[in-house]
Amino acid sequence: MGLPLDLTYINRMIGVMDYPCHMNQSITVPPARWTPQPPPDGGDGVFGAHRGPLTVTDDFAVLDDPAEQREFTEVIDVDGQAIAESVLMVQGMYCAACADTVESALQDLPGVHRAQVHAATRRLMLRWDPVRTQMSALARAVGDAGYRVLPMQQALSISERLKETRQALWRLFVAGFCMMQVMMYTWPMYVAEPGEMSSDIVQLLRWASWVLTVPVVTFSSSPFFQSAWRDLKRGRIGMDTPVSIGILVTFLVSSAATFDPGGPWGGEVWFDSVTMFVFFLLGGRYLEFKARDRTAGALDALMNRLPEVCERRRDDGTYETLSVRRLVVGDVVRVQAGQAFPGDGVLQSESATVDEALLTGESHPLTRRRGEAVVAGSFNLAGPAQVRIEKLGRDTRFAQIVDLMEKASTDKPRLAVLADRIAAPFLVVVVFGALLAAAYWWQVDHSKALAVAVAVLIVTCPCALSLATPAAMLASAGALARRGVLVRRLQAFETLSTIDAVVFDKTGTLTEDRLVLRQVRVREGVTRAEALQVAAALAQGSLHPVSRALARAAQDEGLTPAVVRGDVREAAGKGMEAFVGAYGRVRLGAAAWVDAPEAVPSADGGPEAHLADDAGWLASFELAEGLREDAAAVVQALKAAGIRTWLLSGDRDAAARQVAQAVGIDEVVAGASPEQKLAEVERLQGLGRRLAMVGDGLNDGPVLARADTSFALGHAAALAQTRSDYVIQGGRLMDVADTLVQAKDTMKIVRQNLTWAAIYNAVSIPLAMIGWMPPWLAGLGMALSSFLVIANATRLARRPPVQSPA
Amino acid sequence: MDILYLLVPLSVVLVFIVLGIFWWALQSGQFDNVEREGERVLRSD
Repeated sequence: MGLPLDLTYINRMIGVMDYPCHMNQSITVPPARWTPQPPPDGGDGVFGAHRGPLTVTDDFAVLDDPAEQREFTEVIDVDGQAIAESVLMVQGMYCAACADTVESALQDLPGVHRAQVHAATRRLMLRWDPVRTQMSALARAVGDAGYRVLPMQQALSISERLKETRQALWRLFVAGFCMMQVMMYTWPMYVAEPGEMSSDIVQLLRWASWVLTVPVVTFSSSPFFQSAWRDLKRGRIGMDTPVSIGILVTFLVSSAATFDPGGPWGGEVWFDSVTMFVFFLLGGRYLEFKARDRTAGALDALMNRLPEVCERRRDDGTYETLSVRRLVVGDVVRVQAGQAFPGDGVLQSESATVDEALLTGESHPLTRRRGEAVVAGSFNLAGPAQVRIEKLGRDTRFAQIVDLMEKASTDKPRLAVLADRIAAPFLVVVVFGALLAAAYWWQVDHSKALAVAVAVLIVTCPCALSLATPAAMLASAGALARRGVLVRRLQAFETLSTIDAVVFDKTGTLTEDRLVLRQVRVREGVTRAEALQVAAALAQGSLHPVSRALARAAQDEGLTPAVVRGDVREAAGKGMEAFVGAYGRVRLGAAAWVDAPEAVPSADGGPEAHLADDAGWLASFELAEGLREDAAAVVQALKAAGIRTWLLSGDRDAAARQVAQAVGIDEVVAGASPEQKLAEVERLQGLGRRLAMVGDGLNDGPVLARADTSFALGHAAALAQTRSDYVIQGGRLMDVADTLVQAKDTMKIVRQNLTWAAIYNAVSIPLAMIGWMPPWLAGLGMALSSFLVIANATRLARRPPVQSPA
Repeated sequence: MDILYLLVPLSVVLVFIVLGIFWWALQSGQFDNVEREGERVLRSD
């Protein structure tokens, strides 16, 4: 089965299997294991019984439940103070201006250190002091501002999302269907010659239009009104303020004209315009909503992987179903085929087939045997597997990855911050512009003044402007995440797209962590294979890197190790000794250990091993660090992109040069201490180079932080502690070159988006002010501008994964 | 053209009936996952 087929199969499987997991959310949970805290506001029953998703009537006290809080809150240390950091989802947000409202609602509260809302994903990152305030109080403050915060896990659950999508679709359909019908009533009025229709019929059609416009204005447009009202209450102007004014004014004037045709409001009706632009606005938002869902989808797919419930083995061997939050370390759980593992653990069943795409970005089945580790969030593909849990919740690698992703997605790029800041003054100017245009047109042509003012108010949505940057960067981060590259800071795209030099670390980066056999010298009369067989016989039980390399070399060449009589004795740091068949007493190890004159150390001082038997020297093995398969390819790709490459190594000069030559790196700095590495990076930066550093994230911390941008090849490294901007999980070096291409594309799209948004506003506002843009066209233009920006960004998410040469 | 006095109000009523039907369809989950219906034929169970 080819890879594409595998992917679709697994994706479908994930899609199907995710469902029951989340639907089971309301399952009854056994009594709590944690000690209940006294409720903050005297209410009882909140902690013990009710643990379902929040409802509107909830008083948020459930957010103070420590078992609940653990899921979305982490305690960090800031200047010796314990500060809680929570990531929540904000419900009821429609645009960038809403992000501002939520932030300012929280910013001034006592105990709040930082509140940051990301408009595109509707996520709130909150730093607060648990001593001075409580989560429920903060949630209430946001609630008073007209929004609702939900813990991430619940916010992402299917039922919440379903409700939101259904509501949006319903509003859109009401607006769309009524719009069509109103069009039909209006059409005769447009085509009829004067006098062709009796005034009774005209009046009848107007009434009919009015009846169908009422639900559009009162129901379908309510999100605009609610949002505008929220803004007004807080004394600010958001993008929905001008839209709401436009809808209301148009509707009221048209209603007056319908019921009092001879009145001061004139005889013109605009029901078709109102319904049409409400429909376009809602349509644009709906598509935006869907696109954003998909963009955030890659991140959410990551975050949504842990099951809500699992099966735990009781002492008598039967299984009970319980919430994942009730698990403790040491529990044995049964994971059915298609389900994700709830925690990091050790496999207890004979074997299991798992999909660790989460870590590697590649969906293909891997086999794990009894006693091997499985990670939370990876999928069990076949048959039930039993796992003893070792790490749960915040401690799992899965949680660390999610953490990185959440941090990155609440991180506002500089350009986006700029757009957010100009949005408010921009709107004030626009409202004045609308008034000015209306005042001017009132003197020229009464009937046109209203339409012009409405058009100006509608075209000036700054959404496109404020969505331009984050939409593109998030789409890229999502695409990279699916490939196993985590982006820790969204700004890093900006830096990465401008670099002109890449500095590689050697060990663990260009080379793999293991040694490979390079050359074998043997005594006359002994074949290479025989020597290797004997060496493997001694080496197979040892964990020393050289031994493992020899054992693996024998295995790779299809050789069975020679038979050992008795035990293998290992002298730590020296070598091994055993009795092997015809050879008698055999020693494997350093030159001094085998004690034979022929066993001379190799010229370049690389790792080696010597073998000797009763008759003296038998063989010498030279080893070298194994290059990563794609090391040469990535250097070639970077060179092709006009980027110079450096190798910065703490290793011996000869070894470093050998590696550099093998992969084609331009310049080598060998034998450097961490301080010298740092100095070298600074020297290059002093020469005007913009550097990307690629390291293994463990011992390169300072250098990674000092370089303009950095990649860490994460294996066992505690991912959360790495200081790099990108974390490559699959160990494919080629991802460095791919990410570079992606970063350049991202910045191209960002620039396109910003240019488009700016041109759109620069052209449409004057057009609307001189009266060339009817309200419906303005509505269409505005929705289209936002949609174009998002659609343009989505192109980044759709990039197919680049396969590294195998 | 007197029939218009009947047909126009009737069309308004019709719109509300259609909206009602859509409401029912939406709430019964028919639009929740449009792709799923297409995939369902491919599944064995």
